[in-house]
Amino acid sequence: MRRRWPGFLLIAVLLLAWEISSARGWIDPITFPRISVIFDSWLRTVWTTGDLTRQLLPSLGRIFSGFALACVVAIPLGLLMGSVSFVYRLLEPITEFIRPIPSSAYIPVAILFLGIGNEMKIFVVFLACCFPILLNTYGGVRGVDPVLIDTGRTFGVSKLTAARQIILPAAMPSILTGMRISLGIALIVAVVAEMITGNSGIGYFILDMQRVFRVPEMFAGIFTLGLLGFLINFVFLKIESHFLRWRGTSVEA
Amino acid sequence: MNAMAPATNAGATMRPAPIIEARGLQRYFNVNGKRLTVFDGLSCAVQQGGFLSIVGPSGCGKSTLLKLISGLDRPNGGEILFRGKPVTGPADGMIYVFQQYTKSIFPWRTVIQNIEFGLASHKSLPRAQAREKCMEYVKLVGLDGYENHYPYQLSGGMQQRVVIARAMICEPAVLLMDEPFSAVDALTRALLQELVLKIWSDIKFTVLFVTHDVEEAVFLSSQIISLTKAPATIHENVAIDLPYPRDQIATRADPRFTDFRQRLFSSIFLQEKGIAPDDLKTIRSK
Ligand SMILES: Nc1ncnc2c1ncn2[C@@H]1O[C@H](COP(=O)(O)OP(=O)(O)OP(=O)(O)O)[C@@H](O)[C@H]1O
Ligand SMILES: [Mg+2]
Repeated sequence: MRRRWPGFLLIAVLLLAWEISSARGWIDPITFPRISVIFDSWLRTVWTTGDLTRQLLPSLGRIFSGFALACVVAIPLGLLMGSVSFVYRLLEPITEFIRPIPSSAYIPVAILFLGIGNEMKIFVVFLACCFPILLNTYGGVRGVDPVLIDTGRTFGVSKLTAARQIILPAAMPSILTGMRISLGIALIVAVVAEMITGNSGIGYFILDMQRVFRVPEMFAGIFTLGLLGFLINFVFLKIESHFLRWRGTSVEA
Repeated sequence: MNAMAPATNAGATMRPAPIIEARGLQRYFNVNGKRLTVFDGLSCAVQQGGFLSIVGPSGCGKSTLLKLISGLDRPNGGEILFRGKPVTGPADGMIYVFQQYTKSIFPWRTVIQNIEFGLASHKSLPRAQAREKCMEYVKLVGLDGYENHYPYQLSGGMQQRVVIARAMICEPAVLLMDEPFSAVDALTRALLQELVLKIWSDIKFTVLFVTHDVEEAVFLSSQIISLTKAPATIHENVAIDLPYPRDQIATRADPRFTDFRQRLFSSIFLQEKGIAPDDLKTIRSK
């Protein structure tokens, strides 16, 4: 953490600049309220009234259910695609075709089939999360060194044992990378879905505050998103470096 | 080409059927659309309990031959017999120790877990007993104190020893070792050579050993095959009838040791330089 202080200092300086510019009227204080005002309404909506906190939980629920579902589906499918070349040749073109479509473009279709409730949002998050995990999983599996696979063969282990004890751990760095990318995407997609339809979630909260012109609360929501994304990534990196401690590339020690 | 050296280990008088037999092996590779012939009808036999070394210039097909024998690679023609039965895939009872030990070690497993993989693949022992046996091998290769280290925390030579221990703990009938000592210093190398010889004489398995070091081959082997450049043929097939157990000091000082090394080296060296077989004969009979 100590080596990061210049970065944190920059953030502090920017916030201060914002505060002063808004107070002096260099920027429109209606659209850009002072940071102290935003922080004040952040504290209020998070602690005192809990309006924002209440909206956080449904969002987190959607993000993590969609993400977990994607892991459950995409990791085994990716392992299969990576190790059975027929399955790869069968599914690779279709993934390559669907993958470039921005995940927010599925939302209208999802609404048609699943309505505007929670299921639709979880589904969209799930779908968006699937591709990075799938691609990184089968990429990881296909990238496993043939010497490693031959090592399993010469020891005469079964295909299943080889998959569990050799291919899965060897592809793990790549799979975890896919999962981390997906988590970032999950946050984006959940917020977009909540903005398009619905009456709960942090995306809804931000849009709602904007509509009723409670700009400080709107910013409070946006900053909360930033904080949330940061925390999710931070926790995931910790988990990742625990699972990959055998790589010994982390600078901590 | 179908030369077969007399079994020299333990001074056997009657020669049993070979444990491994290669008959008319053919192996081609396609390299950039061109056909590379590595073997075009290679035959050889390995006696049960022997220590056979394969020497030859880089790229002549030593690793390929070992892979074909192990069943990891399939020939384009000819066949391999292991205990009289054709090899069609990775054969039970043979373990291949890869030349690329850094790629063959499991980086996500600690030293002892790597060795345990070898044990678990062949025996299911109770946990405590398995651990004890693994520790035995950890000590054997001189890695005690490092058993809980991950490979990235080890030197190249240490990683290589892990890979060797992982293979030996299986007590295979045939151990195929592809330049297993290439990454260790001279002293560790000498110790490892003694170690492999000791385990070999204790467990009485067959070793096929690839090396480019003629001296190492003479020190270890009961038989040496030297291969020519691709398409590889057997250039020399020599029985090394130096007595076992061999000793790093005494054996190397033995005039017969020096003689074997000298003769083999000059023969291989001159062949590589492209001297015609006729010239060779005169040199050899000298
Ligand atoms: N999978 C492969 N595809 C194409 N060519 C190959 C393949 N494997 C081996 N070869 C070629 O076959 C020849 C023999 O290779 P091999 O690895 O058996 O040599 P080697 O005697 O073990 O050499 P070294 O002493 O350098 O390890 C080489 O020319 C190599 O390029
Ligand atoms: Mg080789």
